[in-house]
Amino acid sequence: MSTLPVVFFAFQTRKMDLRSNKWIINFIVCLFFMGASCSSVEKKIYVHLNYTIPCVRLLNATHQIGCQSSLSGDVGVLHVLESEENLDWVLRSGPNPPYMVILESWLFNRPVMIKLKESSRRVAGVVVVAPSTNPAEGFSPHTKCPNENTGVYSESYDPVLAHCNETVWNPLGNGLSYEEFDFPIFSLKDDNDTQIIRQCYMEHNRAANGSSPRYPLCAMQLYSHMSAVTDTATCMRRNDINFSISPEMVCDPLGDYNVWASTRPLNTTTKGHKMWEKVVIAAARLDSRSFFFDIAPGAESAASGFITLLGAAHALRNATQEAPPNRTILYTFFQGETFDYIGSSRLVYDMENNEFVVDLDNVDSVLEVGQVGRLNNSRIWLHSDPVSRRNSSIDDEVNKLVNNLRSASAGSGFSVEEPGVSQPLPPSSFQRFLRARQIPGVVIEDHQSAFANRYYESMFDNAEYLNVSYPPNLTPEEQLEFVTDTAKALTEVATIVARALYIQAGGADTQLRNINADPQIVSQMLYGFLVRSNNSWFQQLVPADLASHLTDRPTNFYVGVTQQPSEPTSLVQYLLANLTGSTMNITQDDCQNQRENESDKDSKHLYNYRWVQGAAPPNSTNRQGYCVRSTVHLSKALSPAFDLREYTSKDYSTWTESRWKTIKGRVFLVASHELEMLTLGVGVGVLLTSLLLTYIISSKADILFSSGREPTNATY
Amino acid sequence: MNLERLPNEEKLSLCRKYYLGGFAFLPFLWLVNVVWFFREAFVKPVYTEQLQIKTYVKRSALGLLLWVAVLTTWITIFQHFRAEWGEVGDYLSFTIPLGIP
Repeated sequence: MSTLPVVFFAFQTRKMDLRSNKWIINFIVCLFFMGASCSSVEKKIYVHLNYTIPCVRLLNATHQIGCQSSLSGDVGVLHVLESEENLDWVLRSGPNPPYMVILESWLFNRPVMIKLKESSRRVAGVVVVAPSTNPAEGFSPHTKCPNENTGVYSESYDPVLAHCNETVWNPLGNGLSYEEFDFPIFSLKDDNDTQIIRQCYMEHNRAANGSSPRYPLCAMQLYSHMSAVTDTATCMRRNDINFSISPEMVCDPLGDYNVWASTRPLNTTTKGHKMWEKVVIAAARLDSRSFFFDIAPGAESAASGFITLLGAAHALRNATQEAPPNRTILYTFFQGETFDYIGSSRLVYDMENNEFVVDLDNVDSVLEVGQVGRLNNSRIWLHSDPVSRRNSSIDDEVNKLVNNLRSASAGSGFSVEEPGVSQPLPPSSFQRFLRARQIPGVVIEDHQSAFANRYYESMFDNAEYLNVSYPPNLTPEEQLEFVTDTAKALTEVATIVARALYIQAGGADTQLRNINADPQIVSQMLYGFLVRSNNSWFQQLVPADLASHLTDRPTNFYVGVTQQPSEPTSLVQYLLANLTGSTMNITQDDCQNQRENESDKDSKHLYNYRWVQGAAPPNSTNRQGYCVRSTVHLSKALSPAFDLREYTSKDYSTWTESRWKTIKGRVFLVASHELEMLTLGVGVGVLLTSLLLTYIISSKADILFSSGREPTNATY
Repeated sequence: MNLERLPNEEKLSLCRKYYLGGFAFLPFLWLVNVVWFFREAFVKPVYTEQLQIKTYVKRSALGLLLWVAVLTTWITIFQHFRAEWGEVGDYLSFTIPLGIP
């Protein structure tokens, strides 16, 4: 029986080649339709989540932190946690473990998460619903003492000040970001997805007065399997093993690029010490983080500082060109500072090894702008290092710097004050300079001791927290132009910083009146970084390829891995170029070849030329690009530990990010275990019965199919 | 190849080749030898070469058992301690599993 079709097809292929080709095509088309119908079955079963933000695994010299699912995703029955007492259902009494816990954000705190972590056999995963308003009581998943071990305050530097003994900088920090969870944790925006989840939960899983709910139950599957494991040394070693058939990278070092610019062009081809050169470093940090992977608004912790410094750099453009002070001001924007000072430690390392345009001997002083977005009572706090100030010459220099800032603030609405003499520096890039050498310096902050920031390195450190909000009914274009109170305050601070830098660099007091930060520029930057980077102003200042990457969301300040400059780095680079550089009237070709005319061979050692897309004139859609000449450069912000291959380094950052393949989540209904087993059993039964039947039929074929013919054995 | 159609001398030489071949760290040859020649050695009625075939099959079986024992022990030890050995464990591994120590 079964040979019949085979014979038939063989006949077809032999006799009618053309026809058989057609038949094959028909067969493939058939398969295609089967595939299509399969995917529509999938659509009927699963609801995929659109906007998922995972928590991913990071590793350092000794630990792994973050979350991961199993390779095939973790499945659990949905449970919407309504109160902390409700947790008992998940941890003990619920009859259908493991559970996928949906947390309202106010339950996303340390006690709840640690309880879930401890009974991880009953927890398949956690989904945190991000609220639309910030929690009033404050929330920081970071540690209480950020970058505790890689700053300057070690036991050997000063035992009294080590480990935040004197001041706990981030008292609200609960350390959740540095915990390790062996289940996936996702964040969902409060929108359609969460509506589907809640509805599904209400319809299927909600137990009526304590009884267990009836199947089918609503379940969720989360995929966030991480490739790297244990620690950086392990994963970097596994990256290097090319032994297997398909070698696979498992992790990448965190890092990016620092952005720097000088008020006087420095020859970048000669590295190391520059004779007769003194630089005043004006620093700010560029990065932030939160518990989740791609949401790091960093409004107060990063943006407030670097926007102020960008505003100050803009204010200083004319003064430093018309009446250049004798010292050079070096603007530096450090990346990866959140993760044990990646950017600043690399710059200091490069300076020590003559890999940077200046070395540490050239550094006159450091003025760092930290968190300045929450100024209280118009007071600016100048933090300095009490240990290096025991040295009287350093103390004199610091006092001079403080006095410069004080005189710069005269006439503005702000008062400049110093916290107590014994208080150490807050977490700041300047600490990495002090680690190498005693350098006079000051860190400007909005807090006297503990951070004013109540959402340090969290997803709530956003525009709303900085009071960057706009009257209703404004178009995006009007919002861009609108000067908020925060912008006004930051502009004042930027003016103070600019003037202080100018005096510190040896400029004349008579110029100070001309140094004023522009509130318009500052508010546009606030809008661009904290509300929407895809705005008309940013688009003018960047080249076309970067403009196409701008989004309608706030910028994500997570440093990421070292592959290409991240969005904030690129944006700050072009902003700084436009704010400090000058527009050149040269062709696009010359601009992209880093020269001012055909014969120009030297300018590229001093300047950088960037072609940006510019604005479109009214009544035209073609943008008129132009060339910006500036001293803005990028320098690598990769921890020296990875160049030295010291993956267990105690001096340098060793943070790496694991790689992964899929991040997704989906919701579906599950049947009871008994029903699943019954279905499987029936299936196996049908299969066995059919096999048995086939056997019986084929063995009795001569009897069964003998009608009208002689039995086959009659021939014998 | 069907052993039934082979003369007895060739059976013996084949069995001998497989037995000797197994010494080149090829325990699967011994396994094949044992399975293939088991009937010849122990079930078939007696013939002249059978005694020798019997010895070869017995020795192949012994060698195979030794290999099985050694490999089982090593695999157990390796799977159990690979993560603990750290660096050594990674260098001894041909494929490194993702996401587990």
